[in-house]
Amino acid sequence: MEPHYEALEDENTLELPSEPMRLNMGPSHPAMHGTIRMVLELDGESIVDVDIQPGYLHRGFEKSCERGTWNQVFPYADRLNYVSPMLNNVGFALAVEKLIGLEIPERGTYYRTILGELARISDHLTCNGASAMELGAFTPFLWLIKVRDWIWDIQEQETGARLTHSFGRIGGMAAPPTDGFKESVLAIFDEIDHAMMESEALLLKNRIFLDRTQNIGNLSQEHAIAMGCTGIILRSTGVDYDVRKAYPYMFYDRFDFDVPVGHDGDNYDRFICRFEEIRQSMSIIRQALEQMPKSGPVSCDDVRYVYPDKSDVYNTIEGTIAHFKLVMEGLKPPPGEVYSFTEGGNGELGFYIVSDGSGTPYRVRCRPPCWYNLQACRDMLLGDMIADIIPTFGSINMIGGECDR
Amino acid sequence: MSKKIIDRLQKDHGDAVEETSDFRGDHEARVKAKSWKKVALWLRDDLQMDHLIDLTAVDYPEREPEEPRFEMKLFVRSTKTNERIRLATRVGDGEKIDSLVEVWRGANWAEREVFDMFGIPFEGHPDLRRILMYEEFEGFPLRKDYPIDRTQPLVAYRKVEGTDKLPPFGPDEGQPWGRIDWQKRLDGEEVQVSPSIGVQSGDRKALSTGPEHGE
Amino acid sequence: MPTFKLDGQEIPFEPGDTIIRAAWRQGIEIPHYCWHPGLSIAANCRMCLVEIKSGRQMALPILEWDAKKKEYVNATKPKLQPACQIQAQEDMEVESKSDNALKAQETTQEFLLLNHPVDCPICDQAGECKLQDYWLTSQKKLKRKKTEPVHKPKGVRFGPTIVYDAERCIMCTRCIRFVDEVANDPVLDMRERGNTNEIVLSPGRELDNDYTLMTEHVCPVGALTSRDFRFKARVWFLKSQPGVCTGCATGCNTWVDYDPRYQRVYRLRPRDNEDVNQYWMCDDGMLTYHAFHEDRIVAGRVFAQGRVNEVPRDQALAAAAQVIGKAEKGKLAVVLSAQHSSEDNFVLGQLAAEHLGADRFYLTGKPDWRGDEILRHTDQNPNRNGAKAVSPTAPEPMSRLVSDIEAGEVTAVISLGPATELTEAELAPIQNLASQGAGAASHVNLTANAGPLTSAASVVVPVTSVAESSGTFVNADGIAQQFKKAVQAPGGIQPAWHTLVEIGKMLGWEIDLARLGDVRAAMPKALPAAAEEAAPAPA
Repeated sequence: MEPHYEALEDENTLELPSEPMRLNMGPSHPAMHGTIRMVLELDGESIVDVDIQPGYLHRGFEKSCERGTWNQVFPYADRLNYVSPMLNNVGFALAVEKLIGLEIPERGTYYRTILGELARISDHLTCNGASAMELGAFTPFLWLIKVRDWIWDIQEQETGARLTHSFGRIGGMAAPPTDGFKESVLAIFDEIDHAMMESEALLLKNRIFLDRTQNIGNLSQEHAIAMGCTGIILRSTGVDYDVRKAYPYMFYDRFDFDVPVGHDGDNYDRFICRFEEIRQSMSIIRQALEQMPKSGPVSCDDVRYVYPDKSDVYNTIEGTIAHFKLVMEGLKPPPGEVYSFTEGGNGELGFYIVSDGSGTPYRVRCRPPCWYNLQACRDMLLGDMIADIIPTFGSINMIGGECDR
Repeated sequence: MSKKIIDRLQKDHGDAVEETSDFRGDHEARVKAKSWKKVALWLRDDLQMDHLIDLTAVDYPEREPEEPRFEMKLFVRSTKTNERIRLATRVGDGEKIDSLVEVWRGANWAEREVFDMFGIPFEGHPDLRRILMYEEFEGFPLRKDYPIDRTQPLVAYRKVEGTDKLPPFGPDEGQPWGRIDWQKRLDGEEVQVSPSIGVQSGDRKALSTGPEHGE
Repeated sequence: MPTFKLDGQEIPFEPGDTIIRAAWRQGIEIPHYCWHPGLSIAANCRMCLVEIKSGRQMALPILEWDAKKKEYVNATKPKLQPACQIQAQEDMEVESKSDNALKAQETTQEFLLLNHPVDCPICDQAGECKLQDYWLTSQKKLKRKKTEPVHKPKGVRFGPTIVYDAERCIMCTRCIRFVDEVANDPVLDMRERGNTNEIVLSPGRELDNDYTLMTEHVCPVGALTSRDFRFKARVWFLKSQPGVCTGCATGCNTWVDYDPRYQRVYRLRPRDNEDVNQYWMCDDGMLTYHAFHEDRIVAGRVFAQGRVNEVPRDQALAAAAQVIGKAEKGKLAVVLSAQHSSEDNFVLGQLAAEHLGADRFYLTGKPDWRGDEILRHTDQNPNRNGAKAVSPTAPEPMSRLVSDIEAGEVTAVISLGPATELTEAELAPIQNLASQGAGAASHVNLTANAGPLTSAASVVVPVTSVAESSGTFVNADGIAQQFKKAVQAPGGIQPAWHTLVEIGKMLGWEIDLARLGDVRAAMPKALPAAAEEAAPAPA
């Protein structure tokens, strides 16, 4: 077939006739972390259309919650956003406590805040490290994962498990902070700072990195808002919406911190925002550690919802009955429905729970921030090339567990 | 979170409102199903509720036959005033409800998920297909009458139309090299490659698009 | 109907009703321990104290702790009345959820739990214990008393069926009132006072009347436990289906409690029925559930070459079809069973009359036993009236069958059930019939359990027990009651009526009975109240 020359602005460009090619990417693909399938319609290397197909990690979280008791939701909640499990635990616990109208002691709230922010830091470290690695920069990944491991050591020290610890409880936490909690946390902060500084030094002036992230994966403000995006995706487009500032919950109004906001909505902005958020989280943790009461209970003492002390359970009939009712029938919130939302690692993590007054949840709906962010990913990818999928998809921090539930 | 919105809703669309409630600080208004899209548009345009937060449903099968069984919930907020509102409506089994994709683009996937999990069809949705489950899935999982331990029938590998250059779907999916047919090897045959992908030397045939042996 | 107000709601009441009874009729529960609809009023637990706002209210002077002044000050509180004792009157206003009433419930509950042993993990009542439930609704707090609880005798053997634990007992006296008033055997009484109170037996006596298990049933806590059910199953794993007792012709209504994981029935409980058994059952009736799982026939049996061989069910069906097919016309005896449901008897009678032209019908059942004035009927069979009502001709007794066999007028028998009034010697002719020569096996028996009539059969076909199928029993007063299927029968076994239809289809008969509904629709309308479903009372 004769090549067909079309006169274009640039005389040196030839437009060769071609059909769009359909290419399947994923779900089993090193870059599609969290198993997402993208069926791409390509014109050469440019993406003409992309059909993002989630659901490969759907485990029936919402249906499983309807089988057990309210406290038995915590192991499921952990496995939603599994890189920042404490934030999910806290989100769900706050939702049920809102439904009951339960107040927990101040020390418990500070404890939740500190562990939650540590989880957020580890979430952002993972995301940035993995994104950098996918662009070829292996070293920052290793540095950031190294400090993430120290955060996980603290989680292990406090909760007993490195990652999915199921530590939250309705009415407080499963156990009070250990003795060396404050010192252990402060000890690693210098290391985190140092590792981040070094990673930034390697990346932020690197030609390759800048070419691959700046102006790639752009998302406009209107699209982001209409799509329901929240979190870093929304803030990188310039909208200043952080649940901790807009609707302060727990004690976030007592802390002095900033919310980093981008302006282009491209991968570079998201990357920088994440690094900045890590620094802000560290500042929040420092302030919380100062303000946290040195002693006192972390869980409220209402035995209708919180297990009594083991000495009471074994030695008094009321303790035994309370334990019996909580384990066999589950705690019973009043019938009704609430929607409670917190700032998860990726945006507004909401829990809409419906209770029928019994110990079994009637409906637990998790509003996953990644779900709407992933929907917006299509807008980010149109017009870019295949190779841009990697940094774009990495920068939205799509966690399969949260997205598909 | 916003009593003002409820009041304005009562004023402007009082005929559509069936019930309002304020429980633990959450303001909710329940509207008639046929005014669903109208009220949604009004929220977006007149009240600047431009930020879609969530769209989901809850199943109350005991309400049938007096009341419709599904209750759709819409959560929206305004980026300018930070106000929030929850809108609800009731949809029966088999009834359709208007799609809100034209109002907020983010409703696209949310409605696909509600369709997938509950079986509520959305009128006017550009691409209503299952999103979390695979196409051959039977039933709607989040309905209360779907037993959690129900097993699904096995699905044959699909014939995928219109895809070029995809790895062969079938038992050899993802195999970079030919699968060894061990019986042939032990029998001492020369060509030992599994029949499903054919001979790998010389001219290679086009990659298969479906199973090639005994469907 | 006169009404009074309870918590703002109008409650109708019948003249003479107490507040708690009127509320109970409407399904509203005022917390109580010692009150029982079938027993007299004791008013000793004080849990049902309510505030009566209408009429003349009495205020009691009390000393109240004033937190601000840090000393006791004079105050008054209204005198609360026990709802179980005060008769409802027109225009009375009762508050059971007011602050004073709730405070009274909280303190009463605290007192009841003051010396209670920490026994929940080993107590059978856990899961259906009023102390547990009312703790959660009323007390909600931990213990204030820091000293050792008072210790009392535990595990006291009251009789062959009941064990008593004095520490768990709250002295509600329900058991004492029951044996006094319902069982007519005043063997229990309370001893000592204050915190050394306990229930004791009359000297030289045991708790050995026919209704001892009812004392366990009325006990609201785990003080009285049944030796038959102790430690066998946890109640939150048990599901319930409405049933009818198979012990005698009274037909007490029951709840059949079974564990769906193991498909096994663990106990029966009485179901309230004003007209039949009020709130009670006798011991023998309570223990009939053992027959659902013990001595079961689950495989077919064929008597051949002088031996009994166990065969799979379908082989037994084929053998039964052969016997019936070869039976001489006019010499086939059909034995209906007063132990089987009306549906089983009806299908047997109908198929035999229609397709075999049988006109010899007999009725078998268990022999009479000791009855009494309270609940036990002398007829030990649940469905004699039902079997008679569905039989095509009036059935003869089994003694007539024996004489007919001896006279040579009957050469083949098809029977239901294992039971018969005949003694072993009297059964001999039937036994001989089964083992008659020329290879002709001539007694087909469809049964769920082993028994004398089954041992005299040549072909035994397994069928479901009463817990594994639904059906109807007609009791001695002519009331038809339905029982529902609880557990699944082991591998492939079907109810007797279904099995008979299968055998008939093997013989090529045209039968139009596929489901239980079809059978019930076809049963004679002369059957008293057959179409109505027994509405189960609240569990």
